[in-house]
Amino acid sequence: MADAMMAYPDLRHPFEEKPLHPEGSATVLCQGRNITLSQVGEGDGLLIRPEHLPEINGFTLKPEGVCYAELCIPIDKSLLVERGGEQWFDLTAFADLLGQTYVADTASRVWSFSEIPARRERMMVDAMAPDFEVTDREGQVVCMADLKGKKALIVTWSSW
Amino acid sequence: MPVWQRIYEEINDPNFVILCAAEDVGGEAVAGPIFDAANATYIQVVDPDHIISSAFNFVNVPSAAWVDEEGRIVRIDEGTYSQQHEIGDGDHKISFGTDVYSPALKDWIAKGPESVHVQSAETVTGNIRQHTPEQLSADAAFRLGNLFREHGHSEKAEHYWQKARELNPDSVNFIRQNLTLTEEGSAGESFLKLMGEYINQGKAYYRPLDIES
Repeated sequence: MADAMMAYPDLRHPFEEKPLHPEGSATVLCQGRNITLSQVGEGDGLLIRPEHLPEINGFTLKPEGVCYAELCIPIDKSLLVERGGEQWFDLTAFADLLGQTYVADTASRVWSFSEIPARRERMMVDAMAPDFEVTDREGQVVCMADLKGKKALIVTWSSW
Repeated sequence: MPVWQRIYEEINDPNFVILCAAEDVGGEAVAGPIFDAANATYIQVVDPDHIISSAFNFVNVPSAAWVDEEGRIVRIDEGTYSQQHEIGDGDHKISFGTDVYSPALKDWIAKGPESVHVQSAETVTGNIRQHTPEQLSADAAFRLGNLFREHGHSEKAEHYWQKARELNPDSVNFIRQNLTLTEEGSAGESFLKLMGEYINQGKAYYRPLDIES
């Protein structure tokens, strides 16, 4: 019984091949989110429209910098790029600035970003729980802030 | 899972929640029936991308964090077994888990910061695993593999899962998640061989549990 519960070879690749996103689009995986961008700029890194930044990683472009909650990173000129008369935000250059790593499959136009160190600084310094965002089995988004005011056991497990 | 549900019901405190995340690439098809069989009423999350493990730098299951009302972690990253378990029989009987963890949890729920099981911020931060940039990239690669798998791009899925294991060879999660999607499963000869090497290298399968029995 236990062995059977820990072997699922049929689930290794059960899906029919389909496109990752509509032609010309790109996909960004970040902070547990899967974002399809209908437009990205041409360049070495991943150039996104500035207005897509909050949806991707929670940061917002403000006059004082690129900000998330009380954290503001001064804008480096190299982050904002002009292409075809439009302004783009270089998300990979921003990740480099933050020390956030990423893995890209540029042929498929997919970028997957790791945790943002600055968003977890307080966990490493004074043990404050990190932000996370997951969806429960009822389809409700649950984040760390939702658990505040209660004691919480956050536990991982698996069928294996 | 049934034991966590029993413990949750025994504690029965409106100011206590359990968030239980199934780190299963097989998703709802695999984890859902296990939650359902346990009649779980706590927060149930199917987490194929290991978002919770990444957030807390966990590399094995079961692992947990205790988080107080202010959002401060007061214990983290231990083999979080609700009780001692036994599988198999005779010479093949294997025991794992512990009976001391859930009484400690109950003590914390009852006494809050006065519980002897609450650890200082210094102890907790010392117990959080530090991840190198390569280990962080491993999480990103693993999710990329999952995305390709979900869209039927099996070669690329395998490529990025392999990359994740290379970037973070200490992740038991990646090792066992891979094996569970093979005929052999996650507790066969490959697993025993890999774990033998892991332990021979002086690595702990779980951080030693710092709770007196």
